[in-house]
Amino acid sequence: MDSIDLEKLLTKVEKPARYIGQEWNMIKKSDYNYRFALCFPDVYEIGMSHMGSRILYHTINMLDGVYCERCYTPWTDMEKALRDADLPLYTMETKSPLKDFDIVGFSLLYEMCYTNILTMLDLSGIPFLAKDRSESDPILLAGGPCTVNPEPVADIFDVICIGDGEELDNEVILMARQCKKEGLNKKETLRRLASIEGVYIPSLYNVHTENGKYLETVPAQEGVPARVSRRILKDIDSAPYIGNQVVPNMSIIHDRVAVEVMRGCSRGCRFCQAGYIYRPVRERNEETLLKQAHDLVACTGYDEVSLLSLSTGDYSHLKTLLPKIIDSMLEKRVSVSLPSLRIDSDLREELEKMQSIRKGGLTFAPEAGTQRLRDVINKNVTEEDLLRAVRDAFEAGWAGVKLYFMIGLPTETDEDIQGIADLARKVSQCYYSVPKEKRGQGFRLTVSASTFVPKPWTAFQWCGQCTLDEIRRKQQVLRTAMKGVRGAELHCHPSMLSVLEAVFSRGDRRLTSVLIDAYRNGCRFDSWAEHFKPEEWENAFEKNGLTMDEYAYRQRALEETLPWSVIDAVVTDSYLKHEWKKALEGKTTKDCREGCNGCFGEKCENYCSISKR
Amino acid sequence: MDALVKNVRIIAAFQKDKDISYISHLDVQRTLQRAFRRADLPLAYTNGYNPHPKLSFATALATGFSSAAEFVDIEFEREIEPDIFLERVNEMLPCGIHFVKAFVADSSLDTLSKLLSSAKYSISFNWEGEVSKTQVEEALQTIMTSTEVVVSKKTKSGIKPTNIRPDILEAHVVDLADESFGIELTGKLTAAGGLRIETFLNALYEKIGVSGFASVHRSGMYFIGSDLLPRLS
Repeated sequence: MDSIDLEKLLTKVEKPARYIGQEWNMIKKSDYNYRFALCFPDVYEIGMSHMGSRILYHTINMLDGVYCERCYTPWTDMEKALRDADLPLYTMETKSPLKDFDIVGFSLLYEMCYTNILTMLDLSGIPFLAKDRSESDPILLAGGPCTVNPEPVADIFDVICIGDGEELDNEVILMARQCKKEGLNKKETLRRLASIEGVYIPSLYNVHTENGKYLETVPAQEGVPARVSRRILKDIDSAPYIGNQVVPNMSIIHDRVAVEVMRGCSRGCRFCQAGYIYRPVRERNEETLLKQAHDLVACTGYDEVSLLSLSTGDYSHLKTLLPKIIDSMLEKRVSVSLPSLRIDSDLREELEKMQSIRKGGLTFAPEAGTQRLRDVINKNVTEEDLLRAVRDAFEAGWAGVKLYFMIGLPTETDEDIQGIADLARKVSQCYYSVPKEKRGQGFRLTVSASTFVPKPWTAFQWCGQCTLDEIRRKQQVLRTAMKGVRGAELHCHPSMLSVLEAVFSRGDRRLTSVLIDAYRNGCRFDSWAEHFKPEEWENAFEKNGLTMDEYAYRQRALEETLPWSVIDAVVTDSYLKHEWKKALEGKTTKDCREGCNGCFGEKCENYCSISKR
Repeated sequence: MDALVKNVRIIAAFQKDKDISYISHLDVQRTLQRAFRRADLPLAYTNGYNPHPKLSFATALATGFSSAAEFVDIEFEREIEPDIFLERVNEMLPCGIHFVKAFVADSSLDTLSKLLSSAKYSISFNWEGEVSKTQVEEALQTIMTSTEVVVSKKTKSGIKPTNIRPDILEAHVVDLADESFGIELTGKLTAAGGLRIETFLNALYEKIGVSGFASVHRSGMYFIGSDLLPRLS
């Protein structure tokens, strides 16, 4: 792109630093024969905060002769500026249009960013549907957690990578490059890529329906796997991490060094998709983490290190790692943060140490208000755990606590809603019971109640979502119950967004045309309240003869074939059914570190080290 | 902190090229702090819960402007040679930001923002219509010979007519390398305020009757009260 063209665009938009690249540690290459565009369907400051993209940026660029460049969704002002100037969307590194790349890959982190994929394709002159694209168009690839049900976007992508990407993506890229060298066309290339474990090629499957109702997905040719198995990176400790982390020129959401202490979570919360689809738990060694943290701080200049995972409090060596890492960072004035602390983590001493450098808020997620409901969702945390943890925090000088809950969980009654307020009241009382000279000043208790969205590959994948009207009523019950809780602030917003999220989470291929129509109606950045246009989404559903209700609210039968059954997320169908039955009986399942629960069935032996203990 | 340990003060100037000019003043601050940390320089930190390096700028640079010399005042815990500082920090800066000079300053010297008096700018244009060099020369002449150039300025209490003429110290047309022409402008710039380039350009466009897209480069910054800092001759 011409620098004067770019300059004119940048004067018209807010936060122009989103669009200039040039960051410290940005990878520069001049000798390459294959190009990969790593696209994130959200704005720069969100995309740049995503750890998975950082990993792939590093691992793909480790390949000789392959140049991986980054691209993000332009904010609406930049989208308009590009359209007005008739200029294509471009990558950060070489300012090249996406059409110039061999592969354009998207990370699908949440369903509500799907319209942003279309914005990026549209601004690049790339047709939305795989069947409409020509040989000269790039291969379109998708990866990330949403691909465990890829069906709503299956007609858009040529290749969908299921599971851990660090080995899988490179295998795909190398094979695709080989195909290009051999002069194979796209169809032949895709056919060959289908042989890689974890690769789903939607065009090689037929979807059977009856009166518009989904029946099954079957291979359209011989030699295509009936089910695509999720890729699992077995040895995370020796796997490459993120190399030299790119340091943005502007403030981003997670503006710090993040080391991934482990992947997966052993708790088995029944609502949590991440808990199921990142199994098994794989930890990095303490020494590896200390070295990574040290190297990353040195090469970035950041003053904060975050220990990242789904549940860092469960990391086996946390008790020894934390003091070591805090001490090693103290001299450099680097603070250490834990983004996801379990309520039952016994870390009082470390909490006090962390506070001596910098003080932030503490977040706890009891998820449900009563023990009964917490047993249903298998959130194995008790009221005593929570109150002990907050007391420790208050006594260590913390004054800000956030509590996360969900509303609309299966089997929930008004008693459970009342329980949320009761718990909040007890936390508040706990703060005021700590002597004034001991506790921190300015008590803030934030209670946040989001709407439960049933997700595929969880024990609740068959559940009908609680209707929006019922959610509104429950929120009113909560608001009333929360009155008089000292220092508490309640955040709960009824939103069609959670209904739409439920629709796309468990949707099928019919939704692709709805998505395209919604985009044409102006839907963009749907997860941003200021941009969300529920009425345009409704119009798009109506135009396609579909309703959101049938996708979101319908209770699926256990015998039904679900649209994502073409994917094998390794956790077995029978295990999920068993968990669902136990949920209804209010029976909990133990943390799998205490012994294998057999969630992988026959595959336990091969994939999970816990099962061998 | 040990009262006997005296912090060392270095005043340094960096250039900000066009291609990185779209990062804001706050972003530049963060970028410099991180570069200093990567270079492992013995920065002095403020006390308190959120210690941050002691770093103060003469003034901010508008997002989108490039500059030949932005002045910054940095405190270190112990002595560091200005040349070593330059060498080490320049290795650690992203493309487009580069320190050009540095010297040790006495602790008694006032802050840069208090000493700042004026700045010089080179401005090139992409005109929206046909504009001749003579037209611009005449417009500048009119501005420079008037005692008042009144523009409407947005303030907290609404739009207010303001005379910007006293803030314009010097302005003339210059020939540029690509056979076009631009403007060299010197304006007052102090902690209390000074000439806003946008305001000046709007006044100029109004006089000419044609608007343009201006590319602004701060070519110099001038101070009072110290021989170490550049003065307006």
